[in-house]
Amino acid sequence: MSGIQEDDDLVFRKIASLIEPLNDKGVKLTRETDMIADLEIDSVSVLDIVMDIEDSYDISIPVNTISEIKTIGELVDAIHDLKKEQS
Amino acid sequence: MSLFDKFKSTAEQYNALVAATERDPFGVSMDEIKGPTRAIVKGKEIVLAGTNNYLGMTFNKDAVDAAKIAIDEAGTGTTGSRFANGTYAAHRKLENDLAEFAGYKYCIVFSTGYQANLGAISALAQPPNDVILIDADCHACIYDGCQLSGAQTVRFRHNDPESLDKRLSRLDENVSGKLVCIEGMYSMFGDVAPVGEFVEVAHRHGAQLLLDEAHSFGVFGDGGRGVCERDGVLADVDFYTGTFSKSLASIGGFVMSNHPELEYLRFSSRPYMFTASPSPANIAAANAALKKIAEDASMRTSLWENANRIHAAFTQLGFELCAETSPVIAVKMANREQAFMAWNFLMDHGVYVNLAIPPGTPNATSILRLSVSAAHTNEDLDAVVGAYTALSEALAS
Repeated sequence: MSGIQEDDDLVFRKIASLIEPLNDKGVKLTRETDMIADLEIDSVSVLDIVMDIEDSYDISIPVNTISEIKTIGELVDAIHDLKKEQS
Repeated sequence: MSLFDKFKSTAEQYNALVAATERDPFGVSMDEIKGPTRAIVKGKEIVLAGTNNYLGMTFNKDAVDAAKIAIDEAGTGTTGSRFANGTYAAHRKLENDLAEFAGYKYCIVFSTGYQANLGAISALAQPPNDVILIDADCHACIYDGCQLSGAQTVRFRHNDPESLDKRLSRLDENVSGKLVCIEGMYSMFGDVAPVGEFVEVAHRHGAQLLLDEAHSFGVFGDGGRGVCERDGVLADVDFYTGTFSKSLASIGGFVMSNHPELEYLRFSSRPYMFTASPSPANIAAANAALKKIAEDASMRTSLWENANRIHAAFTQLGFELCAETSPVIAVKMANREQAFMAWNFLMDHGVYVNLAIPPGTPNATSILRLSVSAAHTNEDLDAVVGAYTALSEALAS
Protein backbone atom coordinates (compact mmCIF):
# COMPACT_ATOMS: atom_id res chain seq x y z
CA MET A 1 0.00 0.00 0.00
CA SER A 2 2.85 2.37 0.75
CA GLY A 3 3.83 2.18 -2.97
CA ILE A 4 0.48 3.58 -4.06
CA GLN A 5 0.58 6.24 -1.36
CA GLU A 6 4.02 7.38 -2.52
CA ASP A 7 2.96 7.38 -6.15
CA ASP A 8 -0.11 9.37 -5.13
CA ASP A 9 2.08 12.00 -3.49
CA LEU A 10 4.31 12.21 -6.56
CA VAL A 11 1.36 12.76 -8.90
CA PHE A 12 -0.13 15.29 -6.50
CA ARG A 13 3.14 17.19 -6.28
CA LYS A 14 3.52 17.17 -10.06
CA ILE A 15 0.03 18.66 -10.50
CA ALA A 16 0.64 21.18 -7.72
CA SER A 17 3.87 22.34 -9.39
CA LEU A 18 1.98 22.92 -12.67
CA ILE A 19 -0.87 24.77 -10.95
CA GLU A 20 1.25 26.93 -8.63
CA PRO A 21 2.18 29.54 -11.30
CA LEU A 22 -1.57 30.16 -11.85
CA ASN A 23 -2.40 30.22 -8.12
CA ASP A 24 -2.57 34.02 -7.93
CA LYS A 25 -4.51 34.05 -4.66
CA GLY A 26 -1.97 31.81 -2.92
CA VAL A 27 -4.57 29.19 -1.97
CA LYS A 28 -3.11 26.19 -0.09
CA LEU A 29 -3.36 23.26 -2.50
CA THR A 30 -4.93 20.05 -1.19
CA ARG A 31 -6.68 17.09 -2.77
CA GLU A 32 -9.97 18.91 -2.12
CA THR A 33 -9.00 22.14 -3.93
CA ASP A 34 -11.46 22.90 -6.76
CA MET A 35 -9.38 24.18 -9.67
CA ILE A 36 -12.05 26.43 -11.16
CA ALA A 37 -14.07 27.52 -8.11
CA ASP A 38 -11.22 27.90 -5.58
CA LEU A 39 -8.33 28.93 -7.82
CA GLU A 40 -10.34 30.77 -10.50
CA ILE A 41 -8.30 29.09 -13.22
CA ASP A 42 -10.27 29.23 -16.49
CA SER A 43 -11.46 26.03 -18.13
CA VAL A 44 -8.99 26.31 -21.02
CA SER A 45 -6.03 26.71 -18.65
CA VAL A 46 -7.13 23.52 -16.86
CA LEU A 47 -7.02 21.73 -20.24
CA ASP A 48 -3.50 23.10 -20.82
CA ILE A 49 -2.30 21.86 -17.43
CA VAL A 50 -3.72 18.46 -18.29
CA MET A 51 -1.71 18.44 -21.53
CA ASP A 52 1.52 18.91 -19.54
CA ILE A 53 0.46 16.02 -17.31
CA GLU A 54 -0.25 13.84 -20.36
CA ASP A 55 3.26 14.39 -21.64
CA SER A 56 4.83 13.77 -18.21
CA TYR A 57 3.09 10.42 -17.77
CA ASP A 58 2.74 9.44 -21.43
CA ILE A 59 -1.02 8.99 -21.15
CA SER A 60 -3.97 10.62 -22.92
CA ILE A 61 -6.69 12.11 -20.74
CA PRO A 62 -9.81 12.65 -22.88
CA VAL A 63 -11.53 16.06 -22.73
CA ASN A 64 -14.70 14.15 -21.80
CA THR A 65 -13.01 12.94 -18.58
CA ILE A 66 -11.55 16.35 -17.71
CA SER A 67 -14.92 18.08 -17.91
CA GLU A 68 -16.10 15.90 -15.01
CA ILE A 69 -13.02 16.63 -12.87
CA LYS A 70 -13.27 19.47 -10.37
CA THR A 71 -10.71 18.88 -7.62
CA ILE A 72 -6.99 18.11 -7.68
CA GLY A 73 -7.74 14.79 -5.93
CA GLU A 74 -10.11 13.75 -8.72
CA LEU A 75 -7.40 14.55 -11.26
CA VAL A 76 -4.87 12.44 -9.31
CA ASP A 77 -7.33 9.51 -9.28
CA ALA A 78 -8.07 9.87 -13.01
CA ILE A 79 -4.34 9.76 -13.79
CA HIS A 80 -3.94 6.55 -11.76
CA ASP A 81 -6.87 4.95 -13.59
CA LEU A 82 -5.52 5.90 -16.99
CA LYS A 83 -1.96 4.80 -16.14
CA LYS A 84 -3.33 1.37 -15.30
CA GLU A 85 -5.51 1.25 -18.43
CA GLN A 86 -2.96 2.57 -20.92
CA SER A 87 0.17 0.84 -19.58
CA MET B 1 -28.98 28.85 -5.29
CA SER B 2 -30.35 29.69 -8.71
CA LEU B 3 -29.59 29.18 -12.38
CA PHE B 4 -27.95 32.59 -12.45
CA ASP B 5 -25.40 32.04 -9.65
CA LYS B 6 -22.82 30.59 -12.02
CA PHE B 7 -22.63 33.84 -14.01
CA LYS B 8 -21.89 36.00 -11.00
CA SER B 9 -18.11 35.97 -10.81
CA THR B 10 -17.64 36.40 -14.58
CA ALA B 11 -20.22 39.19 -14.63
CA GLU B 12 -18.50 41.05 -11.79
CA GLN B 13 -15.13 40.82 -13.49
CA TYR B 14 -16.63 41.92 -16.81
CA ASN B 15 -18.56 44.84 -15.31
CA ALA B 16 -15.45 46.09 -13.53
CA LEU B 17 -13.48 46.05 -16.79
CA VAL B 18 -16.23 47.85 -18.70
CA ALA B 19 -16.74 50.41 -15.91
CA ALA B 20 -13.08 51.39 -16.14
CA THR B 21 -13.49 52.31 -19.82
CA GLU B 22 -15.99 54.35 -21.78
CA ARG B 23 -17.47 51.64 -23.96
CA ASP B 24 -18.40 47.99 -23.83
CA PRO B 25 -16.11 46.25 -26.35
CA PHE B 26 -18.56 43.35 -26.68
CA GLY B 27 -21.61 45.52 -27.14
CA VAL B 28 -20.60 47.75 -30.06
CA SER B 29 -23.41 48.54 -32.48
CA MET B 30 -22.53 49.61 -36.01
CA ASP B 31 -25.19 52.28 -36.43
CA GLU B 32 -24.55 52.73 -40.12
CA ILE B 33 -22.37 50.72 -42.52
CA LYS B 34 -20.64 52.98 -45.03
CA GLY B 35 -18.83 50.24 -46.97
CA PRO B 36 -16.61 47.22 -46.38
CA THR B 37 -14.14 49.20 -44.26
CA ARG B 38 -16.11 52.07 -42.71
CA ALA B 39 -19.02 52.41 -40.27
CA ILE B 40 -20.64 55.03 -38.07
CA VAL B 41 -20.64 54.27 -34.35
CA LYS B 42 -22.40 56.79 -32.08
CA GLY B 43 -22.13 59.52 -34.69
CA LYS B 44 -18.45 58.98 -35.42
CA GLU B 45 -16.97 57.40 -38.56
CA ILE B 46 -14.51 54.60 -37.82
CA VAL B 47 -12.24 52.33 -39.85
CA LEU B 48 -13.28 48.69 -39.56
CA ALA B 49 -10.07 46.75 -38.89
CA GLY B 50 -11.56 43.89 -36.90
CA THR B 51 -13.76 41.92 -39.30
CA ASN B 52 -13.37 38.74 -41.35
CA ASN B 53 -14.00 40.59 -44.60
CA TYR B 54 -10.63 39.50 -45.97
CA LEU B 55 -11.39 40.03 -49.66
CA GLY B 56 -13.66 42.98 -48.93
CA MET B 57 -16.54 41.71 -51.07
CA THR B 58 -19.51 42.60 -48.83
CA PHE B 59 -20.40 45.43 -51.22
CA ASN B 60 -19.19 43.76 -54.43
CA LYS B 61 -21.64 44.77 -57.15
CA ASP B 62 -22.02 41.29 -58.65
CA ALA B 63 -22.73 39.75 -55.24
CA VAL B 64 -25.19 42.50 -54.25
CA ASP B 65 -27.03 42.27 -57.60
CA ALA B 66 -27.19 38.48 -57.43
CA ALA B 67 -28.66 38.64 -53.92
CA LYS B 68 -31.31 41.15 -55.01
CA ILE B 69 -32.33 39.05 -57.99
CA ALA B 70 -32.52 35.94 -55.78
CA ILE B 71 -34.91 37.69 -53.40
CA ASP B 72 -37.13 38.76 -56.32
CA GLU B 73 -37.13 35.29 -57.83
CA ALA B 74 -37.08 32.97 -54.81
CA GLY B 75 -38.21 35.02 -51.82
CA THR B 76 -36.63 36.04 -48.54
CA GLY B 77 -36.35 32.64 -46.87
CA THR B 78 -36.72 28.92 -47.52
CA THR B 79 -38.67 28.22 -44.28
CA GLY B 80 -37.35 24.69 -44.21
CA SER B 81 -34.32 22.48 -43.73
CA ARG B 82 -32.08 21.07 -46.46
CA PHE B 83 -33.55 17.68 -45.56
CA ALA B 84 -37.15 18.77 -46.25
CA ASN B 85 -38.32 21.70 -48.40
CA GLY B 86 -35.21 23.90 -48.03
CA THR B 87 -33.05 22.60 -50.87
CA TYR B 88 -33.46 24.78 -53.97
CA ALA B 89 -31.62 24.42 -57.27
CA ALA B 90 -29.36 27.27 -56.11
CA HIS B 91 -28.16 25.30 -53.06
CA ARG B 92 -27.24 22.36 -55.30
CA LYS B 93 -25.55 24.64 -57.82
CA LEU B 94 -23.40 26.25 -55.13
CA GLU B 95 -22.40 22.78 -53.86
CA ASN B 96 -21.33 21.82 -57.38
CA ASP B 97 -19.50 25.10 -57.98
CA LEU B 98 -17.61 24.88 -54.68
CA ALA B 99 -16.56 21.28 -55.35
CA GLU B 100 -15.47 22.17 -58.87
CA PHE B 101 -13.54 25.23 -57.71
CA ALA B 102 -11.65 23.38 -54.99
CA GLY B 103 -11.25 20.10 -56.87
CA TYR B 104 -13.25 17.78 -54.61
CA LYS B 105 -15.94 15.36 -55.72
CA TYR B 106 -18.55 16.05 -53.06
CA CYS B 107 -19.80 19.11 -51.20
CA ILE B 108 -22.58 19.77 -48.70
CA VAL B 109 -23.79 23.28 -47.85
CA PHE B 110 -24.85 24.04 -44.25
CA SER B 111 -26.56 27.12 -42.81
CA THR B 112 -23.43 28.49 -41.08
CA GLY B 113 -19.75 27.63 -40.85
CA TYR B 114 -20.29 26.78 -37.19
CA GLN B 115 -22.88 24.21 -38.20
CA ALA B 116 -20.66 22.76 -40.94
CA ASN B 117 -18.04 21.75 -38.36
CA LEU B 118 -20.65 20.83 -35.77
CA GLY B 119 -22.52 18.74 -38.34
CA ALA B 120 -19.51 17.01 -39.88
CA ILE B 121 -17.75 16.10 -36.63
CA SER B 122 -20.84 15.01 -34.71
CA ALA B 123 -21.99 12.76 -37.55
CA LEU B 124 -18.58 11.27 -38.39
CA ALA B 125 -17.38 10.27 -34.91
CA GLN B 126 -19.50 8.19 -32.57
CA PRO B 127 -18.98 6.74 -29.11
CA PRO B 128 -17.80 4.38 -27.81
CA ASN B 129 -15.15 3.30 -30.33
CA ASP B 130 -14.32 6.39 -32.41
CA VAL B 131 -11.76 8.94 -31.19
CA ILE B 132 -11.40 12.60 -32.17
CA LEU B 133 -8.03 14.33 -31.87
CA ILE B 134 -8.12 18.12 -31.97
CA ASP B 135 -5.55 20.87 -32.03
CA ALA B 136 -5.68 22.64 -28.65
CA ASP B 137 -6.43 26.01 -30.32
CA CYS B 138 -9.33 24.80 -32.46
CA HIS B 139 -12.39 27.03 -32.72
CA ALA B 140 -15.35 26.60 -30.36
CA CYS B 141 -17.43 24.96 -33.11
CA ILE B 142 -14.91 22.11 -33.35
CA TYR B 143 -15.01 21.63 -29.57
CA ASP B 144 -18.82 21.75 -29.70
CA GLY B 145 -18.85 19.22 -32.55
CA CYS B 146 -16.83 16.85 -30.35
CA GLN B 147 -19.23 17.34 -27.48
CA LEU B 148 -22.29 16.77 -29.65
CA SER B 149 -20.74 13.61 -31.08
CA GLY B 150 -20.06 12.28 -27.58
CA ALA B 151 -16.95 10.46 -28.87
CA GLN B 152 -13.76 10.37 -26.81
CA THR B 153 -11.83 13.58 -27.58
CA VAL B 154 -8.11 14.10 -27.06
CA ARG B 155 -6.31 17.45 -27.48
CA PHE B 156 -2.80 17.75 -28.88
CA ARG B 157 -0.43 20.72 -28.68
CA HIS B 158 -1.16 23.55 -31.05
CA ASN B 159 0.46 23.23 -34.51
CA ASP B 160 2.57 20.32 -33.24
CA PRO B 161 2.41 17.21 -35.49
CA GLU B 162 4.74 15.33 -33.11
CA SER B 163 2.30 15.87 -30.24
CA LEU B 164 -0.46 14.39 -32.46
CA ASP B 165 1.84 11.51 -33.41
CA LYS B 166 2.37 10.63 -29.73
CA ARG B 167 -1.34 10.69 -28.95
CA LEU B 168 -2.23 8.57 -31.99
CA SER B 169 0.44 6.05 -30.93
CA ARG B 170 -1.12 5.76 -27.47
CA LEU B 171 -4.57 4.75 -28.76
CA ASP B 172 -5.35 1.10 -28.15
CA GLU B 173 -6.35 -1.26 -30.92
CA ASN B 174 -10.05 -1.31 -29.97
CA VAL B 175 -10.41 2.17 -31.43
CA SER B 176 -12.27 2.05 -34.72
CA GLY B 177 -12.47 5.46 -36.46
CA LYS B 178 -9.93 8.24 -35.82
CA LEU B 179 -10.71 11.83 -36.81
CA VAL B 180 -8.02 14.53 -36.57
CA CYS B 181 -9.26 18.16 -36.61
CA ILE B 182 -7.08 21.17 -37.42
CA GLU B 183 -7.51 24.62 -38.99
CA GLY B 184 -5.64 26.26 -41.87
CA MET B 185 -5.17 29.71 -40.36
CA TYR B 186 -6.21 30.23 -36.73
CA SER B 187 -8.53 33.18 -36.26
CA MET B 188 -7.15 34.77 -33.10
CA PHE B 189 -3.37 34.84 -33.71
CA GLY B 190 -3.40 34.41 -37.50
CA ASP B 191 -0.86 31.60 -37.29
CA VAL B 192 -0.87 28.88 -39.91
CA ALA B 193 -0.83 25.08 -39.52
CA PRO B 194 1.80 22.80 -41.08
CA VAL B 195 -1.02 21.02 -42.92
CA GLY B 196 1.27 18.77 -44.99
CA GLU B 197 2.93 17.34 -41.87
CA PHE B 198 -0.43 16.75 -40.21
CA VAL B 199 -1.71 14.89 -43.29
CA GLU B 200 1.34 12.61 -43.16
CA VAL B 201 1.03 11.86 -39.42
CA ALA B 202 -2.75 11.30 -39.55
CA HIS B 203 -2.65 8.95 -42.54
CA ARG B 204 0.34 6.99 -41.20
CA HIS B 205 -1.83 6.09 -38.20
CA GLY B 206 -4.90 5.29 -40.31
CA ALA B 207 -6.69 8.44 -39.15
CA GLN B 208 -8.71 10.84 -41.34
CA LEU B 209 -8.07 14.56 -41.40
CA LEU B 210 -10.68 17.31 -41.14
CA LEU B 211 -9.24 20.70 -42.09
CA ASP B 212 -11.17 23.89 -41.36
CA GLU B 213 -10.15 26.57 -43.86
CA ALA B 214 -12.75 29.11 -42.65
CA HIS B 215 -10.21 31.93 -42.37
CA SER B 216 -7.86 30.78 -45.13
CA PHE B 217 -10.28 30.05 -48.00
CA GLY B 218 -9.77 32.73 -50.67
CA VAL B 219 -6.68 33.94 -48.82
CA PHE B 220 -3.96 31.24 -49.14
CA GLY B 221 -2.80 29.19 -52.14
CA ASP B 222 -2.23 30.32 -55.73
CA GLY B 223 -5.89 29.77 -56.54
CA GLY B 224 -7.26 30.87 -53.16
CA ARG B 225 -8.08 27.27 -52.16
CA GLY B 226 -6.51 27.57 -48.73
CA VAL B 227 -3.43 26.49 -46.81
CA CYS B 228 -3.75 22.91 -48.12
CA GLU B 229 -3.39 24.24 -51.67
CA ARG B 230 -0.35 26.24 -50.66
CA ASP B 231 1.17 23.10 -49.09
CA GLY B 232 0.28 20.93 -52.10
CA VAL B 233 -1.87 18.48 -50.11
CA LEU B 234 -5.38 19.55 -51.10
CA ALA B 235 -6.25 16.14 -52.56
CA ASP B 236 -5.07 14.38 -49.37
CA VAL B 237 -7.44 16.21 -47.01
CA ASP B 238 -10.33 13.91 -46.08
CA PHE B 239 -12.80 16.60 -45.04
CA TYR B 240 -12.39 20.24 -46.00
CA THR B 241 -14.72 22.60 -44.13
CA GLY B 242 -15.30 26.30 -44.66
CA THR B 243 -17.66 29.21 -44.34
CA PHE B 244 -19.38 31.82 -46.48
CA SER B 245 -19.08 34.46 -43.76
CA LYS B 246 -15.49 35.51 -44.38
CA SER B 247 -14.01 35.76 -47.87
CA LEU B 248 -17.33 34.76 -49.46
CA ALA B 249 -19.01 37.77 -47.81
CA SER B 250 -22.30 36.04 -46.97
CA ILE B 251 -23.40 33.52 -44.36
CA GLY B 252 -23.41 29.72 -44.55
CA GLY B 253 -20.90 26.88 -44.46
CA PHE B 254 -19.73 23.81 -46.33
CA VAL B 255 -17.94 20.47 -46.11
CA MET B 256 -16.11 18.98 -49.10
CA SER B 257 -14.55 15.55 -49.59
CA ASN B 258 -13.49 12.99 -52.14
CA HIS B 259 -15.14 10.24 -50.06
CA PRO B 260 -18.56 9.37 -51.56
CA GLU B 261 -19.68 8.54 -48.00
CA LEU B 262 -19.87 12.30 -47.33
CA GLU B 263 -23.40 12.09 -48.74
CA TYR B 264 -24.44 10.03 -45.66
CA LEU B 265 -24.26 13.27 -43.67
CA ARG B 266 -27.42 14.44 -45.39
CA PHE B 267 -29.45 11.98 -43.34
CA SER B 268 -27.32 11.65 -40.23
CA SER B 269 -26.06 15.14 -39.39
CA ARG B 270 -28.46 16.83 -36.99
CA PRO B 271 -27.13 20.39 -37.59
CA TYR B 272 -27.86 19.80 -41.31
CA MET B 273 -31.28 18.23 -40.86
CA PHE B 274 -32.84 20.26 -38.09
CA THR B 275 -32.33 23.87 -39.08
CA ALA B 276 -33.50 26.05 -41.94
CA SER B 277 -31.32 26.20 -45.05
CA PRO B 278 -29.50 29.41 -46.06
CA SER B 279 -31.76 32.01 -47.68
CA PRO B 280 -31.74 32.46 -51.48
CA ALA B 281 -29.98 35.83 -51.11
CA ASN B 282 -27.20 34.31 -48.97
CA ILE B 283 -26.66 31.51 -51.48
CA ALA B 284 -26.66 33.85 -54.48
CA ALA B 285 -24.18 36.28 -52.88
CA ALA B 286 -21.83 33.45 -51.90
CA ASN B 287 -21.98 31.97 -55.39
CA ALA B 288 -21.21 35.35 -57.01
CA ALA B 289 -18.30 35.90 -54.60
CA LEU B 290 -16.97 32.41 -55.36
CA LYS B 291 -17.02 33.19 -59.09
CA LYS B 292 -15.09 36.38 -58.41
CA ILE B 293 -12.45 34.52 -56.35
CA ALA B 294 -12.04 31.99 -59.14
CA GLU B 295 -11.62 34.67 -61.81
CA ASP B 296 -9.79 37.49 -60.10
CA ALA B 297 -6.60 37.06 -58.08
CA SER B 298 -6.06 40.81 -57.66
CA MET B 299 -8.07 40.99 -54.41
CA ARG B 300 -5.75 38.40 -52.89
CA THR B 301 -2.74 40.41 -54.04
CA SER B 302 -4.11 43.60 -52.43
CA LEU B 303 -4.94 41.72 -49.24
CA TRP B 304 -1.37 40.46 -48.84
CA GLU B 305 0.11 43.87 -49.70
CA ASN B 306 -2.03 45.38 -46.96
CA ALA B 307 -1.08 42.60 -44.51
CA ASN B 308 2.62 43.12 -45.22
CA ARG B 309 2.33 46.86 -44.73
CA ILE B 310 0.57 46.62 -41.36
CA HIS B 311 2.76 43.79 -40.07
CA ALA B 312 5.92 45.75 -40.94
CA ALA B 313 4.56 48.97 -39.42
CA PHE B 314 3.56 47.29 -36.14
CA THR B 315 6.89 45.49 -35.91
CA GLN B 316 8.63 48.81 -36.31
CA LEU B 317 6.46 50.35 -33.58
CA GLY B 318 7.78 47.63 -31.28
CA PHE B 319 4.50 45.78 -30.68
CA GLU B 320 4.69 42.13 -29.72
CA LEU B 321 2.90 40.28 -32.53
CA CYS B 322 1.42 36.79 -32.24
CA ALA B 323 2.45 35.36 -35.63
CA GLU B 324 4.25 35.85 -38.93
CA THR B 325 2.56 38.02 -41.55
CA SER B 326 -1.01 36.99 -42.35
CA PRO B 327 -4.27 38.93 -42.76
CA VAL B 328 -4.82 38.59 -38.99
CA ILE B 329 -2.36 40.71 -37.04
CA ALA B 330 -2.75 40.28 -33.29
CA VAL B 331 -0.92 42.48 -30.81
CA LYS B 332 -0.22 41.01 -27.39
CA MET B 333 -1.25 43.12 -24.39
CA ALA B 334 0.17 42.82 -20.88
CA ASN B 335 -3.19 41.90 -19.30
CA ARG B 336 -6.96 42.27 -19.57
CA GLU B 337 -6.98 45.78 -18.11
CA GLN B 338 -4.38 47.09 -20.55
CA ALA B 339 -6.19 45.38 -23.43
CA PHE B 340 -9.50 47.09 -22.51
CA MET B 341 -7.75 50.44 -22.20
CA ALA B 342 -5.93 50.04 -25.53
CA TRP B 343 -9.08 48.92 -27.33
CA ASN B 344 -10.89 52.00 -26.08
CA PHE B 345 -7.95 54.21 -27.06
CA LEU B 346 -8.11 52.91 -30.65
CA MET B 347 -11.87 53.57 -30.78
CA ASP B 348 -11.19 57.14 -29.65
CA HIS B 349 -8.77 57.35 -32.57
CA GLY B 350 -11.37 56.05 -35.03
CA VAL B 351 -10.25 52.44 -35.43
CA TYR B 352 -12.29 49.34 -34.57
CA VAL B 353 -10.37 46.12 -33.87
CA ASN B 354 -11.43 42.97 -31.98
CA LEU B 355 -10.64 42.73 -28.29
CA ALA B 356 -10.02 39.12 -27.31
CA ILE B 357 -9.40 37.94 -23.75
CA PRO B 358 -9.08 34.53 -22.02
CA PRO B 359 -10.55 31.94 -22.16
CA GLY B 360 -11.38 32.80 -25.78
CA THR B 361 -7.69 33.14 -26.62
CA PRO B 362 -4.73 30.74 -26.63
CA ASN B 363 -2.29 30.65 -23.68
CA ALA B 364 -4.48 32.97 -21.58
CA THR B 365 -3.31 35.98 -23.61
CA SER B 366 -5.18 39.27 -23.98
CA ILE B 367 -4.93 40.59 -27.52
CA LEU B 368 -6.04 43.26 -29.94
CA ARG B 369 -6.93 41.34 -33.08
CA LEU B 370 -6.68 43.36 -36.25
CA SER B 371 -7.64 41.96 -39.63
CA VAL B 372 -6.80 43.56 -42.93
CA SER B 373 -9.06 43.53 -45.96
CA ALA B 374 -8.34 43.78 -49.66
CA ALA B 375 -10.81 46.68 -49.55
CA HIS B 376 -8.73 48.77 -47.12
CA THR B 377 -7.56 51.90 -48.91
CA ASN B 378 -4.24 53.60 -48.24
CA GLU B 379 -6.21 56.20 -46.32
CA ASP B 380 -7.77 53.48 -44.12
CA LEU B 381 -4.37 51.99 -43.42
CA ASP B 382 -2.84 55.40 -42.70
CA ALA B 383 -5.54 55.90 -40.07
CA VAL B 384 -4.80 52.47 -38.58
CA VAL B 385 -1.05 53.05 -38.42
CA GLY B 386 -1.64 56.54 -37.00
CA ALA B 387 -3.84 55.20 -34.21
CA TYR B 388 -1.38 52.43 -33.32
CA THR B 389 1.51 54.91 -33.33
CA ALA B 390 -0.38 57.04 -30.82
CA LEU B 391 -1.15 53.90 -28.81
CA SER B 392 2.49 52.84 -28.65
CA GLU B 393 3.39 56.32 -27.38
CA ALA B 394 0.63 56.22 -24.79
CA LEU B 395 1.71 52.78 -23.58
CA ALA B 396 5.34 53.91 -23.33
CA SER B 397 4.55 57.01 -21.30
